[in-house]
Amino acid sequence: MTQGSAALELRRLTVSYGAQPVLWDVDAHFPAGTMSAIVGPNGSGKSTLLRAAMGLVRADAGQVTILGHPAREAMRRVAYVPQREAVDWDFPITVREVVEMGRYPDVGWFRRLRREDRDIVADALERVGMTSFAGRQIGRLSGGQRQRVFMARALAQQADVMVLDEPFAGVDARTEAALLDLLCQLRDREGRSVVIVHHDLQTVRSVFDWVLLLNVRAIACGPADEVMSDDNLRRAYAGAETGLAAVGADAGGVWVP
Amino acid sequence: MGPLIDLLPLSYTDSVVALGALVLGIAAGVLGTFAVLARRSLVGDALAHSALPGVALAFLITGAKDPASLLVGAGIAGLIGAVAIVGIERTSRIRPDAAIGVVLSVFFSLGVVLLTYIAAQGNAQQAGLERYLFGQAAGLLERDVNVMAALAGVAVLAVVVGLRPLRTATFDREFAATAGLPLRQVELATSALLVVAIMIGLRAVGAILMVAMLIIPAVVARQFTDRLAPMLVLAGAVGAAVGVTGAQLAASAQVPTGPVIVLTGTAAVLVAVLLAPRRGVLWRAGARRAERRRQEAAALLIDLETMLHAGPPPTESELCLACARPVRPMRRALAGLDRSGLIERDGERLRLSAQGAAAAHAAIEARAMWSAWLEHGASLGITDAREPDPRDLRGSLGDEAFGRLQRLAAGGRV
Repeated sequence: MTQGSAALELRRLTVSYGAQPVLWDVDAHFPAGTMSAIVGPNGSGKSTLLRAAMGLVRADAGQVTILGHPAREAMRRVAYVPQREAVDWDFPITVREVVEMGRYPDVGWFRRLRREDRDIVADALERVGMTSFAGRQIGRLSGGQRQRVFMARALAQQADVMVLDEPFAGVDARTEAALLDLLCQLRDREGRSVVIVHHDLQTVRSVFDWVLLLNVRAIACGPADEVMSDDNLRRAYAGAETGLAAVGADAGGVWVP
Repeated sequence: MGPLIDLLPLSYTDSVVALGALVLGIAAGVLGTFAVLARRSLVGDALAHSALPGVALAFLITGAKDPASLLVGAGIAGLIGAVAIVGIERTSRIRPDAAIGVVLSVFFSLGVVLLTYIAAQGNAQQAGLERYLFGQAAGLLERDVNVMAALAGVAVLAVVVGLRPLRTATFDREFAATAGLPLRQVELATSALLVVAIMIGLRAVGAILMVAMLIIPAVVARQFTDRLAPMLVLAGAVGAAVGVTGAQLAASAQVPTGPVIVLTGTAAVLVAVLLAPRRGVLWRAGARRAERRRQEAAALLIDLETMLHAGPPPTESELCLACARPVRPMRRALAGLDRSGLIERDGERLRLSAQGAAAAHAAIEARAMWSAWLEHGASLGITDAREPDPRDLRGSLGDEAFGRLQRLAAGGRV
């Protein structure tokens, strides 16, 4: 790893659908070895930012670097977890087969998995608590279990950077806690970097080290306790009237955007 | 194909037709599965229609009905259709369904115009080209079947070799793209495979109905399996069975093959969609009904037990009033309890049998444990993916966690 380079860095990123810019001139970086959250109101471009960084959406302008390399060249060091709605859960595939996909880039798309790959897959399933569901078709899983499957696939990729798009939307509290804990372990024990699009401002304050506050443009990007100030939140959520009142009234308490 | 033809207990011509239908069924079943799973089955329809002008042009250029050159024409035209669909989707703001519709109708119109032109020329060679509309398996020659079999072999082999990239790209495009799979190439390969299936089936099934041979086997196979590899095998088998049956029926009734194959396949689809275990409409309705009845019975047992506890045995109408439930489902539930020997009747009055009392207590206990889970579940500290099943809490949580929940419910400490 190049010392000191950010896990993910965006320079002057602009993305638009038609004439409407969804992201405008966004500069942001997420340090390696930290848990970073991308936070902002609905329609602020959070998911688009990740998708553009992963090369899934074409950017009008800007550069993306991953661990100091141009994104295109460093994609092998990233595990991307799409939103759950992105796939067809009725697809005829089992939990283990989905997780095995995480090994394909390393093994080669046309090769059989080796014994060590199967061990990695088994270990990933174990870490997300899905071992006993390995043979089940993915449609017969709850929302939380589905998210665990996606997480296990990302683990099996053994990537330095994990990028997750709204992993906890519609997920039960037990799963969210377990997966957040797992992500913290990845950071603390293995020094991996995590970048998440997240919506729960409470956990952002308590769990994450680094925050990008986004609303089409970057409002603030830095250590969580500095970025999550009343003033910044007010600027990011301006226009979301109900949210604004809540921020003003009690920025430290439970906050529902 | 020679030795195979000798093996079949049919006349030579019937054997050739049967083998042709078999090959086409396997190929269409296996290759169509990916189109259905990617929700692109109508692309298959458009490509089949696109193949028609290719057949006509190939005939115009070569001046002969050589099956190989006609197939090549069909294949090239199909590929152009595929590229046209993708091109329209990517460059214009036209949505996929409209793009598919445009390509289908334009190419098909072109095909019909060309076929009409050829027919008007009065070339003696041209007789039979109209078969490519509705299909005619009856006229297949051994060399046609050889060409079909060679193409099918290559295509099925390609699927076996490329199963992982194909599956990954079909299941999760975004993951596939970020994991370094060249999506465009994979999609092109998928379209090319679909075109190959169409080339194989065009003569026997016809451009208009070819899509059915791509969809039917996949739909039937999906009903019976939850995994891709078995689904591909099953779809191939279903395609073969439908193809052979349809072709034989059509030959004996002297009607075009395409429609008969489609009708045969529809019968298979109906059976599979209605009756398949777990996914079938009837199976699911049955399971839902059984579950509703089970819940009704449990609720009724609990109510009866409560009333017996509080006072004299109630009559049916007293029970009905007390638990504020509509009469008919309650009568039905009571009759069910009666049959399984859970209640005893004392004239008009109802009592629980010993067995019924045990069942009522079990139901009360299950209810209490479920409410205990809702209240204390979070404090059990279960971090793996276990999900509680209200019907079988002990089984779904495991003995250890269930035991702790019982102690919590009883007010003790974990």
